[in-house]
Order: sequence, then C-alpha cells, then structure tokens
Amino acid sequence: MTTLDASRPLDIRPSADNYLTHTRGFLSWILTLDHKRIGVMYMFSILASFFLGGVFALLVRTKLLFPGEVKWMSAEAYNHFFTLHGAVMVFLVIVPSVPAALGNFILPIMLGAKDVAFPRLNLASYWLWLIGAGCVVLSLLMGSFDTGWTFYTPYSARTNFGGVVPVLTGVFILGFSSIFTGMNFIVTVHKLRPPGMTWFRMPLFLWAIYSTALIQVLATPVLAITLSLLVVERVFHIGIFDPTWGGDPVLFQHFFWFYSHPAVYIMILPGMGIISEIISVHSHRHIFGYRFIAFSSIAIAFFSFLVWGHHMFTSGQSGLMNVVFSAITFSVAIPSAIKVFNWTATLYKGSITLNTPMLYALAFMFLFTIGGLTGLHLGTLNTDIHLHDTYFVVAHFHYVMMGSALIAMIGGIHHWWPKMFGRMYSEFWGRIACALVFIGFNVTFFTQFMLGSQGMPRRYYSYDQLPGMTEAFKMYHHISTGGSYIMALGFVITGIYLLHSLFRGKIAPANPWGGRSLEWQCASPPPHDNFKVTPRVGDCYDFSIVRWDDEANGYIVDRSLDPELNPNAPKPQAHH
Amino acid sequence: MHALFNTLATAAPASGGTFWLPRAGSTTASNVDFMFMAITYICYFFFVLVVALMIIFVVRYRQRGTTVVHHKGVSEHNTPLEVTWTVIPVILVVMIFFGGFKGYLALATPPANAYQIDVVAKQWSWSFKYPNGAVSDDLFVPVDRPVKLVMRSDDVLHSLYIPDFRVKKDVVPARYNVLWFQATTATTLDAKGEPLDFHRLYCTEYCGKDHSRMNRRVVVLNEADFQAWEKEAAVWLEKIPPDELYFKAGPKLFVRCSSCHTLDGTPSTGPSWGPYNGLPAIWARTEQGLTKVNGKPLSELIGPGKEFADAKDYISNSILQPNHYIVDGFAPGMPTFQGQLNGTAIDALIGFMKHLDEFDAKGKWKKAAADAAK
Repeated sequence: MTTLDASRPLDIRPSADNYLTHTRGFLSWILTLDHKRIGVMYMFSILASFFLGGVFALLVRTKLLFPGEVKWMSAEAYNHFFTLHGAVMVFLVIVPSVPAALGNFILPIMLGAKDVAFPRLNLASYWLWLIGAGCVVLSLLMGSFDTGWTFYTPYSARTNFGGVVPVLTGVFILGFSSIFTGMNFIVTVHKLRPPGMTWFRMPLFLWAIYSTALIQVLATPVLAITLSLLVVERVFHIGIFDPTWGGDPVLFQHFFWFYSHPAVYIMILPGMGIISEIISVHSHRHIFGYRFIAFSSIAIAFFSFLVWGHHMFTSGQSGLMNVVFSAITFSVAIPSAIKVFNWTATLYKGSITLNTPMLYALAFMFLFTIGGLTGLHLGTLNTDIHLHDTYFVVAHFHYVMMGSALIAMIGGIHHWWPKMFGRMYSEFWGRIACALVFIGFNVTFFTQFMLGSQGMPRRYYSYDQLPGMTEAFKMYHHISTGGSYIMALGFVITGIYLLHSLFRGKIAPANPWGGRSLEWQCASPPPHDNFKVTPRVGDCYDFSIVRWDDEANGYIVDRSLDPELNPNAPKPQAHH
Repeated sequence: MHALFNTLATAAPASGGTFWLPRAGSTTASNVDFMFMAITYICYFFFVLVVALMIIFVVRYRQRGTTVVHHKGVSEHNTPLEVTWTVIPVILVVMIFFGGFKGYLALATPPANAYQIDVVAKQWSWSFKYPNGAVSDDLFVPVDRPVKLVMRSDDVLHSLYIPDFRVKKDVVPARYNVLWFQATTATTLDAKGEPLDFHRLYCTEYCGKDHSRMNRRVVVLNEADFQAWEKEAAVWLEKIPPDELYFKAGPKLFVRCSSCHTLDGTPSTGPSWGPYNGLPAIWARTEQGLTKVNGKPLSELIGPGKEFADAKDYISNSILQPNHYIVDGFAPGMPTFQGQLNGTAIDALIGFMKHLDEFDAKGKWKKAAADAAK
C-alpha cells in the first residue's frame, strides 16, 4: 500500500491564504464552521474568563492579609468573591480550556483531517458556551450568588441572593456545550484517523482528549439533572435536597460529585496529553512507554466514575462506604504515577531544548508530583478526617487544577502558538514569565498545605475570633498572598508578550520545535482546509527523521527517511 | 460559672505541635499523626526522586544549538521497568489504605460507655447540652473519658472540627451524626471561671455569612472539676436573685444572640436591639407598638384581648417561635430557642433589653466597669 507519494514532503510553505485570512469580517468568525477559528475564539473567551476569575482570586487573597473584618469587603462580599472565583474557573475556564480551545484547533490537524466530524455541532457548542457565560454575567447583575462553586444544599436552596437560578441555568447550558464537544471528538477520533494511524499510533494528546470526551459525554448529564432538580426545588419548593420540604441534603452531594469527580479528570487528562506531546517533542525522543500512558488515560477515565464518595468522608455516609471509596480512590493513584515515571524516562537520553513550552512542562511535572502525592493524605481515611475542608484540600486541588491542568494549558498555548498564528513570541519574556508563575504558584499554595494541616478551615472570611488563631495563621496567609501577586505579575507579562507577538512577532516556521506529528508538517498558520490530501502517517514519536533545515529556518520532518512511508529508506543510524 | 456563655477570653491556648501538625490532644490523634507523617515521608521520597532525575536528565541531555542528537540505546519501552514502577506504588498504596482504614475504625466507633453531649448547630452558633440539662456555648468535656457528640443542625450544613483532636463530622439537618473522642490533657479554671488553656473548635462546612465566626473553645477538665462545672452549669441561672438577673445573666445569654443582633443600631442579619431607622430601642418600640411585623404595627397585636397580652409576651414568643411574625425588612431565618432557654433565661434577656442603656455596644455592663475603675 505504501507508495512513494506518501514519503513526499508535505506542503509547509506559509501562504497568504490561510485560515486567518481565508474570509474576513465579524460574521465570518461568529458563523464559521472552521475548527481552527472555533478553537481560537474559544481560547480568547476562556482566557478572558481566566482573567476575571483571577481578579476574584486576588480580591480574596488580599482580604486574607487581614485577620479580622475590613471595611472595604464585608463577609458577604467575600463569600460572593470566592464563589465566583471557583465557579468561573471551573465551569468557564478549566473544564472547556484544553479540549475546546487547543483540542479544537489541534485534534483535526493531528488526524490530517480537514475538520471535526460535525462542524456545525462544534459551532453550536461554542455558542452554548457564550450563552452559558452570558447567564453567569446575568447572575452577577441579578444579585450574584454565595453558595460556593459546589452549590451544597440546603444552603443553595435557601440563600436569598437572586443570582442562584441564573447561574445554575448557565452551568446547565455550559454542560451541554461540553457534551457537544465530547461527542464530536469521539466520532472524529473513531472515523477520521488518516491511513497508517492505528489506535496505538495516535499521538497521546488524542488519547487524552478521547478519554476526556468519554467522561464528558457520560458524566455531564448527571450534573444537568442535579442542577435542574435544584432549580425545581428553589422555585417550586419540591422536596428533593432540603429537609424542610422533605429532601435529603447528602443526596445532593452524591449527585454533585458523581459528575464533579470525573470532571476533575475532564480537567487534568487533556493537560496530561499536552505534557506527553511537549516532553517528547522538546526532547526529540520517542515517548517512553506509549501503551502504558495511553492505557493509563483510559484507566483514569474509568476509575474516575467510582470514587466520588471520597469527597464525603465526613458527611455522615456509612462507614462501609467510606472504606470502599477510600480503597477505590487509591487505584487512581497508580495510572497517575505511571505517567509521571514515563515522562521522566522520556527525558533520559533525549535531546532536550529548554524553550518556554518545555519549561512549562517541567513545571507541570514538579507541581503535579506534589499535587498527586498530597492526594494520598486525602485518600487515606483517618488523615482525611483531619484535613477535609481545610486549606490542605485547597492547596492540593490548586496544585492539580491550576499547577497541573492550567499550567499544561498555558504550556500548550506556548507550544502551539506559532502554529496557530504564524508568529513567535519573545523567548526571553516567556522564560521570565514562566519562572514568575512557577515561583509565585509555589509560594501561594505550598504555604496552604501548612495552613490546612494546622487546622485552618477553608472559605473563612476572618481568622481572629479566638485567641491564638491570628498568631497561628497570619504568617502563612501573608506569604500566600504575596505569592499570588508574583503569579499575577507573571500572567500579566505573558498576556503582554503574547499579544505583542501577534503584531510584531517574528514569522514562525512550520516546525519551530522539532515536532513530528502532523500539525508540524502543515504550514503556520495552517491553510483553511489543513491538508490538500489526507497524508499517510508513520510512528509519530520517531524523531530520527526530524532535522534542522536552514532554508525553512526550522525543523523539517524528512518523510523519505521514514521506513513506513518509504520502503527503500535507509535504516536510521543512532549517533554518539 | 462565668465562663459559660463568654467566648471572648484573653488567655491564648498553649501552642506546641510540629511544623506540620498542631498539638495532639486526643487518644486517636497519635494514630492520625503517624499516618500523616508516614505518607509525608513517602511524598518526600518520590518528589525528590522525580525532580532529581528530571534535573539530572535535563542538564545531562541538553541540546546545544539546533542539531538534534540521537543517543545510542534509546528505548521506547521497557516492560520489566514499567511493571516495577507499577507494582511498587500498588504495594505502597495498599499499605497506606490499610493504615488509614484501621485508624478510621477507631475514629468511627464510639465506645459504649461514652459520655453523651447533644449538639445543635445553627447559623451561626453552637449549643452543647449535657445529660443533666446544662447548656453551654463552649464545649466542656471530662479528660480521659470517651465523649460522644450527637449532632444535628437546625438549618443548613455545618461541620464540627477540633484540629487538636483530629476529629471532624458534618452537622446535617434532619439527621443525627455522631462524633467521639477522648481528650488526654486537662486544664483548670481560674478564679473567674476562665480556662487556663483550651482547644479550638471550628465550623468547617460553609454555612453563609458568619461561617468564620462559628469558632468556640473546647475546655478539658479533670473528672472532679468537670462534675463540679456540670452541676453548677445546670443551676447557675436559678441561683441569681431575680433583680440581678438582667446584668449577671443577660450579657452572657446575649452572646448567642449577638451573631445576628447588635446593640448599637448597626444593621445585621436580624433587627438591632438598639435604635435604628428612627425607631427607639427594642423594649420601647415593642411596648409602644411601633415595630411593624408581617406588614402591620405591633400595636394591632399587643394589648388586652389581642394576640399578645403585653410586650413581654410578644418578645418571649419571638424567641421561642421566631418565624411566626417577621419584622418588616428582614427575612425569616432565626432558629427557635425552645428547650434551650428556660423562663428564667428569657426573663434575664428581657431585663437586659429593658436596661439596654446600662450596657455598652458589646453588651458589657457599664456599672461593673465603673465599679472596677473606682
């Protein structure tokens, strides 16, 4: 089947007619069916939400500089801000971040496809996201909400603020946006793989997105049902969760975590996929243990449905359930550990370049190791009883959700930015900003482990009611808030140099890092329909055929040397 | 006992404890601490392993310039190695699970002879009721004796957490949750009834505006002191002469009301007892029938032949059946104090309202301060 054609280089020449210039005008974007444009719109929308969520976080951290009451922020305002921070970051930023933004852009190109399987559904998903985000804004205008992002009943069924129903509606709609994206990607991966790409030839990013899509489709409907029931209870006072009307508040927690625990993996799995790509590309070395990494994604997706009860060890659910959920929880630790070991082994005997994306990937490994390991304290029954609902949990999930999932997304944005816009950003400022974010992050959140293990409860406006509290907690809060300002500075710098690169950045080559998968064999920015003919692919982690080319001012993938594309290719020689 | 309803002490608790954990004050704490530290050392080991290898590889295999270096002997996978680093973590997590499981069995099983205290949590206060009928805001417990808290909530979710004892349990409406511990170190009360040392008790389930102000003291006493305290706590109110009730008991009882009611007109969750919105203080405005409830002035409700005989009757009813009539401009939400405040306590509170001008904004009796100044 292999023909000489397959080994011919793909067209990587930049063209004036690319997806950015193919059509013009506002409508050509908002009505586009092009997965790349939808991905770009998602990305900027998500980054804008990230900015908003970040401002809420800084307000919360600034309040915590002061142990007692402050004039400029009441306890009620504080409760609104931490709730908004959580809700915006989870539902508007992290859940859609990687699949909808980077996944949309990269997945079809990695498959050599012209688009996703259902382009209209893809656009509908983005519109739903916009409507969902609009509902969140509407909720802010209608009195906002102070329920915590978890909406625990019966508080959420009773609180008087008028924004609760609009925000529940918004999250319901955002859920459908997520389901649409997931369905689309499942079908795309099943039906649109190019010749030569068997399941175990897929880039690991695709395995991660595929596993994520399965969770999105299977878990999100439960969230939709739960939130609908809560709205019915609030509006019609039908007893479901509130005991005043005959409901059971713990039932809500079961429903909520049945979605929200798998959702944790909706957030982290795509990030893990990005890291597999960045580490192998910037090490120019075959990913180590491909099958173990691929299977661990599927294993994580599977186990994620069986561990929700570990959020409820103190809720009063039966002791037997606690024991069972604790046991299953530890099973999730194994595939995560396997991934970390495989990434570390991939560095061994690599050819490592420390560009900004790689720095983010290394930061991810550092932070995810801490985030994952501290999960052991929380999965263990008797230590979790002490740590539950303290800052230890806050620190743990920020290491995983922000230090891992979001850092991976930012690493991914840096990795694929030249591909998306055909421009290079400043490496110098990229590295400075990455260092600031990394240092600021650790200063902010590592201190919160101590705060929590020393007993500081989360969601506290003040910490001065009893003698000794201020002395016990104030120093940690000060350090933590200081760290958050360092981190904020890093993100501001990132925003500036990325925007600057759009207009003034150096022209990017098709393959600036030495990547091997199909998106690096496509022009930067890609043409409207990606590839003229669906290309045949070999082993996307075989970097022996990647070399620097002065003329292209970047790396090229020499397809004529790939024995799977060209039977006459010489056997690759290892050097040194 | 003076300490009973007074949450604002000046003495700070003893510190102690380690870098990671606060001091341990219960029989089950050492087991939790052992597991915590064991897991922490495992974390140190794997963290150092991963980060050290990462740094060594990055330094050793750094690519200079643009030429990709292909090292000899690069493997794509190594099944024995991968099985090894799957099996070792499996063994470790199984061990960790069993350690936590055994420790949890101890935490989850109150001994049969445990001393029972009934706990009611509400926005935003705790009430601890002892077998002899005594009620307190701070938690008093005997040392070296298992104590079982049988807890329920009057409104939303709360959670009772005593970090020094390493125990926590959610407090849920319409459900009784049980938590037990056995404290190991006793303290004593000073001449004024203030404890020399205490443990902190926090609410750890978000419950609204004053979630962070549901912190109370846990005072551990030796058996004799505890028995004496418990006896005294049950009868302290009855021992106060009726005309001294309002300044001896009033301020202490008011502490619990203070989470929603102020004395100086400052807006809060419930109507201030002081003058506000042009209305006089609570006693005057009730007696004169000025307050508007459920849309009509109180004068239509209080008086001979009407629903309430007099102002005292109305206020007493408002404490015991608070959601019957709601002051205009406020939302229903006050919990009932039925079974927690007896007639004497309500007399004391009403006396306190009548003489509000004798107290400062925090409920301190000014005459006592004046006497002390002399």
